[in-house]
Amino acid sequence: MTALAILAALSPLAGPAAAIADARARLAGIAQAAGAAIALGCSLALLVMLDGRAPLFAWDGFLYVDSLGGFFLMTVAGVTLLAAVGSIGYIAAQEDSGELGRFQVRLYFTFFGLFASLMLAALETGNLGLLFVLVEASTLASAALVGLEGRARSLEAAWKYVIISSLGVTIALAGTLFLFYSGSALHLGSNLGLTWPYLLAHATALAPQALRLAFLLAVVGYGTKVGLAPMHTWLPDAHAEAPSPASAMLSAALLNTGMYAIIRFLAIAQARLGHTYPRAVLLSFGFASIVIGALFMVRRGNFKRLFAYSSVEHMGIIAVALGFGGVLGLYGALLQTLNHALAKAVLFLSSGDVSLRYQTREAAQVSGLLAAVPVTGGALLLASFAVLGSPPFGLFLSELTIVRAGFASASPVFPLLLLALLGLAFVAFARSTAGMVTGRPPGRLASPYRDRAAVAVTAAPLVLGLAALLVLGLWVPAGLDTILRHSVAVIGL
Amino acid sequence: MENLAATSTAGVLLALSGVLILLLAFACLASKLFNRYVAYYGAQSVVLSFAAATAAVAFHSAELWILAALTLAVKGIAIPVAARRLLVRRLALKRDAAMSTGLSTSLIAGGALTAFAYLVIRPALLPHGTVAAAVVPLSTAVILLGSLSMVVRRHTVAQLIGWLIVENGVFLGAITLVATFPFIVEAGIFLDIVAGVLIMVVFVSGLTRQLAEASAAELRELRG
Repeated sequence: MTALAILAALSPLAGPAAAIADARARLAGIAQAAGAAIALGCSLALLVMLDGRAPLFAWDGFLYVDSLGGFFLMTVAGVTLLAAVGSIGYIAAQEDSGELGRFQVRLYFTFFGLFASLMLAALETGNLGLLFVLVEASTLASAALVGLEGRARSLEAAWKYVIISSLGVTIALAGTLFLFYSGSALHLGSNLGLTWPYLLAHATALAPQALRLAFLLAVVGYGTKVGLAPMHTWLPDAHAEAPSPASAMLSAALLNTGMYAIIRFLAIAQARLGHTYPRAVLLSFGFASIVIGALFMVRRGNFKRLFAYSSVEHMGIIAVALGFGGVLGLYGALLQTLNHALAKAVLFLSSGDVSLRYQTREAAQVSGLLAAVPVTGGALLLASFAVLGSPPFGLFLSELTIVRAGFASASPVFPLLLLALLGLAFVAFARSTAGMVTGRPPGRLASPYRDRAAVAVTAAPLVLGLAALLVLGLWVPAGLDTILRHSVAVIGL
Repeated sequence: MENLAATSTAGVLLALSGVLILLLAFACLASKLFNRYVAYYGAQSVVLSFAAATAAVAFHSAELWILAALTLAVKGIAIPVAARRLLVRRLALKRDAAMSTGLSTSLIAGGALTAFAYLVIRPALLPHGTVAAAVVPLSTAVILLGSLSMVVRRHTVAQLIGWLIVENGVFLGAITLVATFPFIVEAGIFLDIVAGVLIMVVFVSGLTRQLAEASAAELRELRG
């Protein structure tokens, strides 16, 4: 099992290896996709082997995988696979058109694989200090992706991203320190004492005041990476300026990794402080994010910014679900994480195809997508519906679960407010995307791809992601249901 | 670590270093020259490595000795030298004009933040009479002052120094709160800082070059 976990974290490095060996975009992309597929296979195998048994624990807890970690591993590895397959066509087309130089292509695949590998490693460690180190390192790797195109705007977005996220994660480190300090009574002398399972098992011995501060700092710090308002300001710029497959990685993998860190802190805080305080913190940040996300979606403009604000909104929904708590709330939050990751990956990958064909990122300049490029247009339309939570897609099911959890736990004001905000977000988002998909295309569009194979490989992740979303909307497969139940049990009620 | 009495020699030295680190953060907040930012940051890191060495003596910890040496080498020497060569000198940076408030305003805000740090941390969190109770409010104040200088200053190099000061504040808190941080983690944090500085230097130089080209283009257009 140890070998499997290590292989899962290291296999995305196939892309960087190919890039360093000076492979062209297509070959490096294929290597990257193969690495991601191995990572996904390993994480699925880990989940099957875990299935309710004792978690994997090695090297004093530096390596620790339980059902919750396995679930996030699967999500991130799945997104990495979709984005890597999407990269093959996208980056090759950019290389052919000369928009990306040889060096930039190598840079892209080097940091793409490094980024994925660091995130997977972060999900596999039980040591909360190492978690910080890996999350911060993944920030730096992804900053290079954001600034890849090297124009003033993308460099500025990358700067904003790296400086705000680094400051945020440093605050999370301060939170981690206070968590360790709250355990002074335990005499945490060894490496073992700084691991999540140990701290959770001994939660009753933690000092409540220091723990309170630790939880708040962790939510603010890791919340900066998640994009919870008001720490979200880097997010729209970074998502808009990064190459589209990298935006998919940011939105569908990086944000989830941040949320995973918050969930680990939440579990410890709940075990010692009860529900009131963590709930108040998560509901405030969650609702703030939903409001900010929905309001900023009203403005029409760059469609990648629109999707980015939708990510802010969805991370808010997940935080609110965690705040509602209970089996329903936690189950809904995790299911929402998976669904949102799939839908957002499809949206950003199709936005990459759109921006290649239309040579613009402005929603107002795109029309007639369904007529011009049926596959991408259809994927964009369906994924938009999915991300807005309409049936028969997965997000409908998870959002329904979250609203039910709200009625079951807190006062009915919160779930009603949530429903109202979801309605606002629906109108704001659909207003922009409907205009892109319908209407008449502006003349004949030249295909940016070299051959039919490149077109097919660009369409593949869109179809795959949508199929998975559809399945998750119709029913939650028994295996996934078991994984989710085990993960909820790991967090504790 | 948290049981070290504030009145012991090591405790007094740690508290003294904490005060010096806070003063240097204030000095950085009060200055307007890029050279000074880097110099104050370097001095702060040297004091920090002295604090780590003090803790190493008090606890007979070999790992803390290594950390003190790393702090001196990386934060006290390597980063300031690199910042001076690669940023200040190469980009010909002198006076920092891009501030959103005046110096006096930001100093008053810094004083308020220091008082706030004492109000929040002092009373309930830490037992009275320990060195942690003396130093942790100081380190919190340093974190807040670093953040403040990132907010007040718009120039990228100034923001980078602000982040490094925040990092120093966290490190000061770390050696007084939990001396038993695993070494791998500490080493990883160092690696992150170095990688962070490198990647930020790349962005800063790229941005500065882009801005210079942009303003040159404006000049050409205006020539008329």
